Amino acid sequence: MIQIQNVSKWYGSFQVLTDCTTQVSKGEVVVVCGPSGSGKSTLIKCVNGLEPIEKGSIIVNGTKVNDPATDLPKLRSHVGMVFQHFELFPHMSIIQNLAIGQVKVLGRSQDEAHERGMKLLDRVGIKMHANKYPGELSGGQQQRVAIARALSMDPICMLFDEPTSALDPEMITEVLDVMVELAQEGMTMMVVTHEMGFARKVAHRVIFMDHGQIVEDAPKEEFFGKPHSDRAQQFLSKILNH
Amino acid sequence: MFSNFDFSVIPPSLPYIWQGLVFSFRLTVTAMLGGIIIGTLLALARLSGGKALGFAAKTYVDLMRSVPLLMMILWFFLLAPFFMKITPETSALITFTLFQAAFYSEIMRAGIQSIPRGQINAGFAIGMSYWQTMGNVVLPQAFRNMVPVLLTQTFILFQDTSLVYAIGATDLLKAADNTGKLYGRTVEMYIFVSLIYFAICFSLSMFVKYMNKRIAIIR
Ligand SMILES: Nc1ncnc2c1ncn2[C@@H]1O[C@H](COP(=O)(O)OP(=O)(O)OP(=O)(O)O)[C@@H](O)[C@H]1O
Ligand SMILES: [Mg+2]
Repeated sequence: MIQIQNVSKWYGSFQVLTDCTTQVSKGEVVVVCGPSGSGKSTLIKCVNGLEPIEKGSIIVNGTKVNDPATDLPKLRSHVGMVFQHFELFPHMSIIQNLAIGQVKVLGRSQDEAHERGMKLLDRVGIKMHANKYPGELSGGQQQRVAIARALSMDPICMLFDEPTSALDPEMITEVLDVMVELAQEGMTMMVVTHEMGFARKVAHRVIFMDHGQIVEDAPKEEFFGKPHSDRAQQFLSKILNH
Repeated sequence: MFSNFDFSVIPPSLPYIWQGLVFSFRLTVTAMLGGIIIGTLLALARLSGGKALGFAAKTYVDLMRSVPLLMMILWFFLLAPFFMKITPETSALITFTLFQAAFYSEIMRAGIQSIPRGQINAGFAIGMSYWQTMGNVVLPQAFRNMVPVLLTQTFILFQDTSLVYAIGATDLLKAADNTGKLYGRTVEMYIFVSLIYFAICFSLSMFVKYMNKRIAIIR
């Protein structure tokens, strides 16, 4: 589904990504972790072409992302993305947030988009807030809406960039629950997160990044059992010890 | 000294003054709408990253902002007849729109830049094109954030409309001047229009204050 091959990227003279290679198969859940500044967000943004790459190639569902001829909006319309800071559109009601992409991008009618939107809101438990504005919802609720917005486009895979790290602890679970459910339904997911509980529960593979490199890329059991690299081991003991 | 004043000239001149006021308003509204539309396009051109286009937009804005409005009004009225038949009123409408566009463009540019990158990414991520993201996500928010500043600019614009007096376009001031001269009561008419300008600007500035408060609550 997602193939990342020898990807390198620079910000000016600073190399953010160095020769990253990995893949996410259909139905697979891959968790990406690593210290702050290691390039996790950058890597995941390259997958749907929000950030260009200088070297290597990324192929999503058979389409080469870094090909100038690729219709990026079309590709992105079926790759869902959820951001750390939710990024709901603050000037639109919750239901409008879910309808806009369906109407403007997929060409659905308002009625159809609202109907589908309400179903998804029901699913993430926000139906009663459909006519409120994002600013009136808690962080956890906003993030669930953001997931519903991504799902409203009927994505073939989902990208998450630290979806719970801007949330208060008591709200993390409500968001993770939605994600776990998605994973169990067989959604293809690439998730940047430090929630190792989530990784243990639903991930198939865990990727550890450091200084722009993929240091470790292993099946979950192997990763949590005994990571090969010292850096991954140190990182794991740090985040698991609190 | 007020005993020498004769304000009885005001009632008979009202219809003509009204016409002048209507033109002042038309000029303000045209220059505001046209200015905001052209200004927004200029702002987008500057922010789009296209080198030639961005440079052209920047040059235009800098040029307009470094020439006094009165000079622009006079120059345009002097040069336009070489290319087309034009009334002072039309000339004023065009000059004001083009001039104000430069100022509105700076306001819109600040407004667009105030929208976080994450919002643009969110628009892109659901498959919107550049223009869809601008039109549905960035501009509506930028515009909302800038309403108070846009209104303040419009209010300066309204005050500046009196400058078209210089090319003989009949705005509020010119209408008052004409009737004043007709009846030999210029001072009375000037006092009268000053009051009108004051009343309008005062209510406009109250409105801007009110909008500021309202927007502050919504946030
Ligand atoms: N637009 C940019 N211009 C220049 N440098 C950038 C830019 N965006 C990110 N960087 C740098 O690239 C590196 C990787 O950033 P990235 O956001 O991908 O890290 P991350 O692993 O997601 O970290 P975090 O856990 O803090 O989110 C960082 O050193 C960051 O400072
Ligand atoms: Mg990050």
